[in-house]
Amino acid sequence: MLFAIVLLLTIGFIAFVLVREARGIPRPDGLRGRIRDRGWGLLLLPVAMAAAVMAGGAHGLILAELGLAALTIVFAPKVAARLVPYGVLGLAVFGVHLAKTYRDGNTSGVQYLFVHVVSRGGAELVLAEAGVLFVVGLWLLLRLDSPGAGLVRALAAGWLNGGRRGIAGAQALLLIPVAGLIMQLLGPGNWFGWQAVDGLDAAVMDLTLLAGALVLIFRSRAWAATLAAAGLLVLGAYGWVITVFWPAVPGFGYGFCDLHNSPTPGPFWGVGLEATVLLAAGLWLAPRVTRHHLDGASDPELAARARQLTQRVQTLTKTRHDAVDTAAAELRRIERDLHDGAQARLVAVGMSLQAAQRLFPTSPEAALALVAEAKESSSLALTELRDLVRGIYPPVLADRGLADAIRALALDTPLPVELDLDLPGEVELPVASAVYFSVAEALANVTKHACARAVRIQLSYSSGMLRAQVTDDGSGGADPALGSGLAGVERRLATFDGILAVSSPPGGPTILVIEVPCALSSPKTSSC
Amino acid sequence: MRVVIAEDLFLLREGLVRLLSAHGFEVVAAVASAPELLRALLDERPDVGIVDVRLPPTHTDDGLRAALQARRQVPGLPVLVLSQYVEQLYARELLADQAGGVGYLLKDRVFNDEAFITAIRNVAAGGTVLDPEVVQKLMVRHSRTEPVTRLTPREHDVLALMAEGRSNAAIAQRLFISEKGVSKHAAGIFAKLDLTLSDDDNRRVLAVLAYLES
Repeated sequence: MLFAIVLLLTIGFIAFVLVREARGIPRPDGLRGRIRDRGWGLLLLPVAMAAAVMAGGAHGLILAELGLAALTIVFAPKVAARLVPYGVLGLAVFGVHLAKTYRDGNTSGVQYLFVHVVSRGGAELVLAEAGVLFVVGLWLLLRLDSPGAGLVRALAAGWLNGGRRGIAGAQALLLIPVAGLIMQLLGPGNWFGWQAVDGLDAAVMDLTLLAGALVLIFRSRAWAATLAAAGLLVLGAYGWVITVFWPAVPGFGYGFCDLHNSPTPGPFWGVGLEATVLLAAGLWLAPRVTRHHLDGASDPELAARARQLTQRVQTLTKTRHDAVDTAAAELRRIERDLHDGAQARLVAVGMSLQAAQRLFPTSPEAALALVAEAKESSSLALTELRDLVRGIYPPVLADRGLADAIRALALDTPLPVELDLDLPGEVELPVASAVYFSVAEALANVTKHACARAVRIQLSYSSGMLRAQVTDDGSGGADPALGSGLAGVERRLATFDGILAVSSPPGGPTILVIEVPCALSSPKTSSC
Repeated sequence: MRVVIAEDLFLLREGLVRLLSAHGFEVVAAVASAPELLRALLDERPDVGIVDVRLPPTHTDDGLRAALQARRQVPGLPVLVLSQYVEQLYARELLADQAGGVGYLLKDRVFNDEAFITAIRNVAAGGTVLDPEVVQKLMVRHSRTEPVTRLTPREHDVLALMAEGRSNAAIAQRLFISEKGVSKHAAGIFAKLDLTLSDDDNRRVLAVLAYLES
């Protein structure tokens, strides 16, 4: 318990130091400054502490370990930082193994980081901690760019991009000894060592793993070699963890070293040597595999770009379809309005005038009445045409551009409208029209439904994005999914990659935001 | 009375020239673009300019801008602006200088030549004439504000006609009431809206419009 608290405090302190550094707070002088200078390498301290305490402190290694870690941190901070991820990953692998030994009946007490295990029950906790350590170790590996980070990245990219083609056969075959070592660590007996496999389940597991490795080697040499490289690196790191505190964990072997019941630290050098060989092999293989993944595969960035483009094409297909539909519906409406409105009125005008012409010689008064009727009809036709034109393209928008068109819109709204229009240039007409009609729809909604007392319209432009916001203090509850009006606005904006966002909780206020990417041209000159 | 006409569509321009000549106006210039209009207004100094909002060269609001510029150089130069549509925004810009002698009408109003000629004469005399459609929009804007809702329907009608720039006599004729009745309504309206009543027709119009535009 006491150790767990100390460990937590140490890690917390280091995290605090690192976070402050990341925020760019200037480095103080003195001790704190020196501590911060060491950076990520400081994490080697808690790793060493955890390892030493796991060893039980029985053989006086604690001081040696802490001293070594401290020396590395002070004299080779970069090396320390690069070692940290492997330390953490080593602890994780050891955790998995520890859990296994407890499952197999180990009862000696071990402090595994924050947990003190004494029996079978602690195995799950240890496994959970090991899982967390594994994730943290991987993250640190990538974050600190330790050797092997490229491999992890390539693996991730390869996994995202799908299957790979072959690599040298010998390299792929390395997976077999790696699989053997893993089986040895997971199973109750040694594979290469002195003990035979005992128990049917262990044998089945070992055979399955071996078969899997073989299938992988024949199916995809690249993946086999990749796994072999990863295994070599992880097992090598693990070997070094064992080298440091092996006596605390009785009853297992590491490669050719049987650590079972060894009375003296005799196999120390053996395990260290084996671990070094494994690490060296891993370090030799890793860059080759990485290169293969990076070269053989299409560039991950290229693949990401391809995905983006596919998505873009889908969006464009949909919005183009919507735009064509909308335009067709609009033309249909205009045609109908003209047909039933102005056109019909003009026919009536012609007929009235024709009748007037006929009546004029016989009854001039009746003819005059018909002429008056014709005048009335032409007046109505003009009114209808005016409304129609307004719906197609508002005259002020054509004359003055977006800002003044919105000003005119505000004036025609029977509510106090506060305007905050800041547009450094002119928006091209199709976009201006879409934004104008969106704001008009929003204002119409406010007037019709919101019981609002005031509206505020903001229009601004920054870094390629035109933004319009309509805020009212009404009753809220607006939803694009419910009314067809706002859905229409969404479709209209989508043609220009624009978006509509509505926040309208019951009880208000309603905030409607329109954003459309576009370029601005220089403002119109207002002289003639 | 000397008149300058600016209208880019040949048929409409000729129609206006014929109409005004028939009513005894002297058309000193009939132009088809904004730069020509500005020159004609400044050189001829007509009693009134009749201007289409949309003119070459840009076919946007060039006519309106030319008229405003001419009035900046010659304050109070009477201008009657005609358009296929009316906008409160443009009405405000025309009224902004408070100098009077301004009209803003839909082109359709030409159909009623009697009213149209009266409007031209009003503007030439320094009065203010606004299209009923603009006034209606101004009234809608205030339809929910407190003082306007307190007006009786008849007062409401009188207010609208006053805003269009009509005289008491014209309002009386239109609403079939006596001129005295109109004065009474006007007094009532001004009291309710908390405005100062003036005998001068133009100042009365400006007061009403200033109120409605607020």
